Amino acid sequence: MKRLLSGIAVCGILILWGSWICGAAAEPKTTEIVFLTWKPGQPEAWDKLIARFHEKHPRITVKRQVSPHSSTEYHAIITQRLKNKDASVDVFLMDVVWPPEFANAGWALDLTSRFPEAEQKKFLKGPVSAGTWQGKIYGVPCYLAAGLFYYRKDLLKKYHMAPPGTWSEMIQQGEVILQEEKDPGLNIYSAQFKQYEGLVCNMLEFLRSNGGGILDRNTGRVLLDRPPALEAIGFVRDQIIGKAAPRGVVTYEEPESLSLFTQGKAVFHRNWPYAWAVANDPQKSAISGKVGVGLLPAFKGHDHAATLGGWHFGINTFSRHPDAAWQFICFMTSIESQKTLALEAGLAPTRKSVYEDPTIQQKMPHLIAFLPSFEKAASRPPSPIYPMLSQELQRFFSTAIIKKNVALPSLARTSAGRLKKLLALEAMMAR
Amino acid sequence: MIRKNQFFLLLLLPALSLLALFILAPVGQSFFLSFHRVISGLPQLGEAMVGFENYRDLFHDPIAHHSLWTTVIFVGVTTFFELLIGLFLALLMHNHFPGRGALRAAVLIPWAIPTVVAAQMWRFLMNDAYGMLNYLAFGTETASYVPWLAYPATALGAIMLADIWKTASFAALLILAGLQVIPPEIHQAARVEGAGTWRRFRHITWPLIRPAVMVALLFRTIDAFRVFDLAYVLTQGGPADATNVLQLYGYKKMFVEGWMGYGSAISVCIFTMALFLAVVYVRAVGRRLLEARV
Repeated sequence: MKRLLSGIAVCGILILWGSWICGAAAEPKTTEIVFLTWKPGQPEAWDKLIARFHEKHPRITVKRQVSPHSSTEYHAIITQRLKNKDASVDVFLMDVVWPPEFANAGWALDLTSRFPEAEQKKFLKGPVSAGTWQGKIYGVPCYLAAGLFYYRKDLLKKYHMAPPGTWSEMIQQGEVILQEEKDPGLNIYSAQFKQYEGLVCNMLEFLRSNGGGILDRNTGRVLLDRPPALEAIGFVRDQIIGKAAPRGVVTYEEPESLSLFTQGKAVFHRNWPYAWAVANDPQKSAISGKVGVGLLPAFKGHDHAATLGGWHFGINTFSRHPDAAWQFICFMTSIESQKTLALEAGLAPTRKSVYEDPTIQQKMPHLIAFLPSFEKAASRPPSPIYPMLSQELQRFFSTAIIKKNVALPSLARTSAGRLKKLLALEAMMAR
Repeated sequence: MIRKNQFFLLLLLPALSLLALFILAPVGQSFFLSFHRVISGLPQLGEAMVGFENYRDLFHDPIAHHSLWTTVIFVGVTTFFELLIGLFLALLMHNHFPGRGALRAAVLIPWAIPTVVAAQMWRFLMNDAYGMLNYLAFGTETASYVPWLAYPATALGAIMLADIWKTASFAALLILAGLQVIPPEIHQAARVEGAGTWRRFRHITWPLIRPAVMVALLFRTIDAFRVFDLAYVLTQGGPADATNVLQLYGYKKMFVEGWMGYGSAISVCIFTMALFLAVVYVRAVGRRLLEARV
């Protein structure tokens, strides 16, 4: 009996298998493209867009492969595959700092003929130049981000304060609020200071808003050990870590720092534009409706600064379906798609015209207000060896803001020396 | 005779070729890469042979020195406590008492949990906002909660604690195996002679389980030397590089920075050190085992 049953089962499987093969052969030919991405915060918006793309382009199927959310881990995975000339990926998302590396290594397809200058002009300048390397463009901006300053509107109003313009003003206001509120769980500031990529973004904002920087790509000079940079780092070490912000921030990435703010445990908070939707979602936030957003403070006498973030679409050089991949990119960066991503996932559009759209203007006024700061957001140093520079910067910044007994100038000099050595490697390539 | 040997070799061939494919080839590749300048973002540099340049840089790299020290401290502390706790657990499990089976199973649970999962669990336990560890220490006084992973010393301590919790039971298992082969007659005879618990442990149990302890020491040292996943999940090397153990440093060089040559040099160094340790231990253990038999 048993044998009979298993015989029937085997026959059944064989029949199914056979019919599957015939069925596959009979279907009209479709192109399947693989889209490599990370785990999105609001997957519904992306699902919706891909479904819409399938409706419009029935001959192309998009298969999504999802990597970890962390940019560094995603980078490790994608570069492993591209390094091995893996043709099974067609289109991928690139972090705003990757195009020089992907271009120089020959992993990303040169899109200059498909994405000519006339078309590029419809996008914001910062992201477009981030997608460009040595005069050619490799990435189409999907969405952009910049460091924004979130604050508790209700608390500032209660104590008749305007959003702070300088970092020291922020601390003074915070001290008053903390004193009056008498809540031992309340902190002045919350941001991302863990030893990871986000630390570089946060610190670059402090450096830039004091007239400093990491390095000047035009002159090739390292600015890390110059007085404006040292002053800004010293300020973070002495006034922010363990003072304005709880010591725990040195273990915080975006989600942890945001949850401190949304639980009502911080007066001020630095994050990317996506935090707006989360902080105002009554399901996820205890302070929804009480949140204000503006430009990050600066040091006295200097301009505000925000680090440029965001993601680009790129095509794998080894892809067998670059045309289908390009159609997908065109769809995903269309005005309609950017509107969907803005309204449903809180992602800032890269097309200028989307900012003029009435629905966007009405529902996301904060994005419109930030357009000027988006346009001049500071980019991290563009380089094909950015991951190397970043590892050194993460190490330096983390040590500098944690180890109070280490002399900052000599620490900075050592790190600047290491950066110069890495840049010498990059310069070797040109020879 | 020769024929017979050839036949044996033939039988060994599948296993040997698998070993060659999955162990010798990657190790060889690492050696090869470590003598070249390979940077994945800069293919224009070619893959120039640079001799010992990567090694020379590595020996003068203060970050690598720091990583080595961190790793050595990690190995020393975790191995010591794992063997100590493992010994206690083994002695406990060796006794007959009700619930022994349950205890044995419970002790093995930490070891059976995948390291990444265990590390994630410890990350929650040590969280500065809702961590169980803080709740145990401070109750609902959330204002005095300590961010354990935010200080260089406690972050390294946290990783060591997680490792000890996770692998002490492995040491216990090996030592227990050593305990089980001690014939109970010896203990009975000693008891008849009037030897107390301590004397019996000192002069019977300890000498007889020493080979097992040595084996546990061998496994634990080499394994601890290759620590990676705990640091990767809990701290990613931070804060201020305090938990940047050697393997993590090598991983970052190779896969995050794309600096294949330098990363390979680090791997080769770790490999060499682990091999050296293994040879020293195996020799020591081998002699002990012989002594025990005589």
